[in-house]
Amino acid sequence: MTIQPNYPDDPGVEREQALTEATSLVAQSPDASEASAPVSDVEGMKEALLDDDEATWSRDRWFHDDIETHPALKVLRTAFPDVIVDAVRFRNETTIHVTRQQWRTICLFLKDEPRVQLNFLTDLTAVDMLRLRETPRFDVVAQLYSLPNRTRLRLKTGVDDGEPVPSLVPIWNGANWLERECYDMFGIIFEGHPNLRRMLLPDDWDEGHPLRKDYPLRGWREFPVYNTERTVGRVRTRWSGRGVS
Amino acid sequence: MSAVSTEPNGVPVPYEAGAVFSADATSIGSLTIEDEVALASGERLMTLNMGPQHPSTHGVLRVVLKLDGELIVECDPVIGYLHRGTEKLGEHHRYAQVLPWTDRTDYVAAPMNNLGCAMAFEKLCGVEAPERAQYWRVIMSELARIASHLVWLGTHALDIGALSMSLYCFRERELILDLFEAFCGARLTTNMMEIGGFSRPIPENMVGMVRDFLRIFPERQQEYADLLSANPIWMARTKGVGVIPAEAAINYSLTGACLRGSGVNYDIRKAMPYCVYDRLDFEVPLGQHGDTYDRYLVRMEEMRQTIKIIGQALDQCERMDTPLMAYESEYVIPPHKGTMTTAEDMQRHFIWVIKGFSPPVGEAYVAVEHPKGELGYYVVSDGSPLPYRFRIRSPDFVNLGVLPFMATGSMLADVVALIGTIDIVLGSVDR
Amino acid sequence: MGLVHDRYDKNVFITSLDFLFNWARRSSLWWLQFGLACCAIEMIAASMARFDLAERFGMLYRASPRQADLMIIAGTVTKKMAPVVRTLYDQMPEPKWVVSMGSCANVGGPYDTYAVVQGVDQVIPVDIYVPGCPPTPEALYYGIIELQNKVIKYETMARKQGVSAAEEQRLAERQAAMAALDAVPATPGF
Repeated sequence: MTIQPNYPDDPGVEREQALTEATSLVAQSPDASEASAPVSDVEGMKEALLDDDEATWSRDRWFHDDIETHPALKVLRTAFPDVIVDAVRFRNETTIHVTRQQWRTICLFLKDEPRVQLNFLTDLTAVDMLRLRETPRFDVVAQLYSLPNRTRLRLKTGVDDGEPVPSLVPIWNGANWLERECYDMFGIIFEGHPNLRRMLLPDDWDEGHPLRKDYPLRGWREFPVYNTERTVGRVRTRWSGRGVS
Repeated sequence: MSAVSTEPNGVPVPYEAGAVFSADATSIGSLTIEDEVALASGERLMTLNMGPQHPSTHGVLRVVLKLDGELIVECDPVIGYLHRGTEKLGEHHRYAQVLPWTDRTDYVAAPMNNLGCAMAFEKLCGVEAPERAQYWRVIMSELARIASHLVWLGTHALDIGALSMSLYCFRERELILDLFEAFCGARLTTNMMEIGGFSRPIPENMVGMVRDFLRIFPERQQEYADLLSANPIWMARTKGVGVIPAEAAINYSLTGACLRGSGVNYDIRKAMPYCVYDRLDFEVPLGQHGDTYDRYLVRMEEMRQTIKIIGQALDQCERMDTPLMAYESEYVIPPHKGTMTTAEDMQRHFIWVIKGFSPPVGEAYVAVEHPKGELGYYVVSDGSPLPYRFRIRSPDFVNLGVLPFMATGSMLADVVALIGTIDIVLGSVDR
Repeated sequence: MGLVHDRYDKNVFITSLDFLFNWARRSSLWWLQFGLACCAIEMIAASMARFDLAERFGMLYRASPRQADLMIIAGTVTKKMAPVVRTLYDQMPEPKWVVSMGSCANVGGPYDTYAVVQGVDQVIPVDIYVPGCPPTPEALYYGIIELQNKVIKYETMARKQGVSAAEEQRLAERQAAMAALDAVPATPGF
């Protein structure tokens, strides 16, 4: 059975609108001076890549050992030559590290690029790299999936504590909850997110962000015990095998 | 402005002043001060709180609704009432110790969670389970799919008003739980899959028992279909309710029946086959309209296909006599017999249990087709015996994000149908 | 019961009436339909077709705490959920009983984390603890039978009135049990 998603193609008008929206959101950010650096040459890149043959863009290339022939990496290298920090291949999975300021632009580009079509945001999370490197502290990780190609790509960007990451909500609504959870667990600020507040923890939780590496497993504070008989401590455990009858 | 008394309606506040968690404890189920002000000033909207203790929110989901009459203007799901910190726990325990917690994330399909987690660790370590173990993994996880769909069908129909469906569905679910109990000894939290396959032998009469179930179940399922599929009440409550167009389904990152009910063909078993699914013949049912009824049909058809899958897998693995565990790998627990008889294996076993094993530095993402959608495990290793990051991409957490989209503009009575059709389990949503 | 509460001393007539009330109570324990986590699935399974807890014990699940005598805490109580559990308990009318089902509700279970209350008895008083992760329906049966044995000993008419009196009584029982535990010599070895 072949996989043919029977949904209509994205109309060009909507894509234009999303692109303008994304660029305007980028322009409003405090990092606008960095973000507005000319990194993209999309039209020129499309021209340059048009005369490649089909085999270059086949599905096999996504799983090729030579990472430079990876289609997503190729289009990114051509269109945004300055944004790729690193590209890793491990256990048949490709990870591309990109810079923080162009995070949303790159995701939008990869979604719309007809040879890549990473149009499905599977997962968005973060990793606290506190014990592994000096800076930046966090990695924001997005797992992208291409419904037509049936391939995955992992996209990463480094972000320090307090630095904003452009939100992906203008592109995928599914990023809404994932980014909220990420903020809740790590304290990463997503810029342009419509509703960035606590999600899994209580609204008035003031003990920090639990999935950070410097947060202890049992938390910082004791739970206020209601029953006076239990204020002394934890449950008494005995190994005698005889309990309260 | 201190118009809000700390003791509304004379109900004593359960915690002393200055307690950490006082959110909403005293205002649940009643109008807030803001609502009364809004009502007095002629505003027509009313805020209605639903949950976290509500019979049809499938656990502890809470939904805050803004209503204009019976029309929902705004819907805000509040989750986290079952947030237990599974991901943090995973970072503080050795790889083999993490598996039991995955049972308790989505507890109605526990073997499926084990499967995803074990496969993620195996991918990280570069281990591959033997062929026969792969077959049994498929069989057990597909049984779990039926069990999960039965819980969904029973509770969904119960919410809409068909009480007897839940009795029937749980009757058949007990048969599957019996199979689990025969296979691994536990009914619900099975902890069935291990890294590298199965370390215990398959019970002798297992094939026969599964075949018995396969013989019984299709007739029973046909009874459910006869009860519901053409039932006018059922159709009135589900047809055209909660429509998700295909673009919206992709945009909201939906997976599983929520996505396939909208007609998008994405099933990981077909798209990126794992285990032995590429050798099994089955169809992926697709919906057309993306409404609640289509998702019901998709899940019912999935159960039929699952019966087909299990039958084929049994046929193919019945006569196999190959090992069940990839014992040659250093990341796998040594064989039980060797541990008891030889010194080398006993030492290896001791170190494996006490110290754990250290996978190579790297990261892996493995997704399996859970009954509710794409269940992904993203594991980062820093070369130590503990996972550096253990991330569960749970399908119903992401699927629940579409609830505001579906509920806005629909009627109040449809909210229970919408929650039921997403098929959530709060342990998996909150992790 | 307000008429007869706290009026009479214990005598044969009163205790016989108490037995009658308690017999009726323990034979129709209505429990609050309220599931938290994995144990809730086992609780539902226990009340469904095969195990049929509800019909066998005269039990019935009610969605409103105002109509319930029994609260089965089935699952993990998180810090976010604890105030809600306390509110529900306060909304239940006296006399009321609590069964803590499963390791998470008993002592926090495997979840010794920042988000989980280490035992529901830090929030509400508990009558019966059912161990297991999750307990099988049979284990829940045993807990319910033990609870029925406890209900039959409940003193309606000779009882001091009010929530605080009940709390005091529970505390006294608990302390007596702890004292009995202290009297047991610890086994050597651990």
